[in-house]
Amino acid sequence: MTIFYFTLKRSFANLANLIFLTAAPIACIFLPAGEGWPPLAYGYAYFGIVILFVAIRLAQIMMEDRVKGILKRLSVAPVRYFSYLGQHLLAYAVILILQSAVVVLGGWIAGQELHRPWALFALYVSFSFAALAMALAWISVFRSKDAAFLFYMSLIVLAALLGGIILPLEIFPDLLRRIAVILPTFWFAEGLKSIASAQPFADNVRINATLCLYALVFLVLGSTRRMQ
Amino acid sequence: MRVLSTLRFTLLRLMRNYIVLLLLLAVPIALLTVFSVILSGMVDEAGRPYFDQTALTMVLAFQLFGGSTVMSYLNEDLFARNRERMTVAPFNRTLYAFSILLAGSAFSFLLGAAIMAYTRLVLGLVWANWGWTLYLIALMAVLSSIVCVIFVCGVKSFSTAERLSEVYGVGFVLLAGLFFPMPQHAVFEFMGSYGNPLTLSVGAVRAVEIGNWNEAWFQANIVLAAIGFLFPVMLVMGRRRLR
Repeated sequence: MTIFYFTLKRSFANLANLIFLTAAPIACIFLPAGEGWPPLAYGYAYFGIVILFVAIRLAQIMMEDRVKGILKRLSVAPVRYFSYLGQHLLAYAVILILQSAVVVLGGWIAGQELHRPWALFALYVSFSFAALAMALAWISVFRSKDAAFLFYMSLIVLAALLGGIILPLEIFPDLLRRIAVILPTFWFAEGLKSIASAQPFADNVRINATLCLYALVFLVLGSTRRMQ
Repeated sequence: MRVLSTLRFTLLRLMRNYIVLLLLLAVPIALLTVFSVILSGMVDEAGRPYFDQTALTMVLAFQLFGGSTVMSYLNEDLFARNRERMTVAPFNRTLYAFSILLAGSAFSFLLGAAIMAYTRLVLGLVWANWGWTLYLIALMAVLSSIVCVIFVCGVKSFSTAERLSEVYGVGFVLLAGLFFPMPQHAVFEFMGSYGNPLTLSVGAVRAVEIGNWNEAWFQANIVLAAIGFLFPVMLVMGRRRLR
């Protein structure tokens, strides 16, 4: 588990990352609740966008390895590619799960109306997996770190808007509402809605399963490319 | 005036900077298109379309990020990659830095104007007073460039300066209350009204729409005063760093 340990260390190594990884979820706890929209307080909807950003920032560490040629050196070391990728992803997943736990637990302590904290936590975790897999698939296409991040950033904003995190989906025209279903952000927003409106348990399971399916698909896409 | 001959290349570099074009031109255009589809036909209590307000705010909000090009070129040419070459070049480096500032602001202004033209020609939005809006876009572009020059000259590490410029942009967007309502507190209320260049310039344009020129000039002049105050600060810091 050496790689896992060092990945954790590297994730927190630079100051900007440290602030981003710790302050952003804490800020999310304290954002106010809206009137009728969003279903939970603002911070709990925007935390989905934070997850997407955190995932790409973390995945960039692997991209750095590829661009700088560290991956080439690793290929002659007695480490299998599978274990390299697995331990990296595990470290990122641990960070994201911890963040989700902080947000849910913090909200529970601060007295935010969370309806069903466990279901919310499960939703954040499965969305984190999907976000991580998407980031992995995204960085495997790019060569320049900055370009990958900035392109992804613009996509995040668009996906958050079209998926119904920033504006309620009900006011969208019919066509956009139907297209939104293909975006993972739609399922995240749907999950929040289902938690707030106390839908049956099976509904939550369905939404989490969809997000995990996204994670699986993008993981397969992203892990096929090894070097260069 | 040898610096003048470099201006052409600065402009060429700006125009070929595809990432900036993507972030400050393609993204707002895509967002505005989506918004115009979503908000079409919706009006507020006063009977004005919601989209007018959104378009105005977005055109001005993206100016907050316009200074990032000035910052990265200054760093590349005078502090990092081309530093030695520029030191031996027979021209006034301070003036060169100033030319980058001007070119960057002009470029940012042009992008803002292009977005405005797009909303007018493609999305069919009628700007009440486009000249006045352009004036405020120019003010915002210059202000953001000056702020970014202060950051890049005042902070040792460039990545910190970059983060600070992001804080400047995102911070004022958040303080304007565009993403979620700010808490009821005197400080937040001030930063969401007269202490915020974004709300000031939006307010100035809105005031003209209802014909209140006094209020419009008042709000625009506060932004101008901020520029007037920060300009000497920038000169002092820039000279100290470039020496």
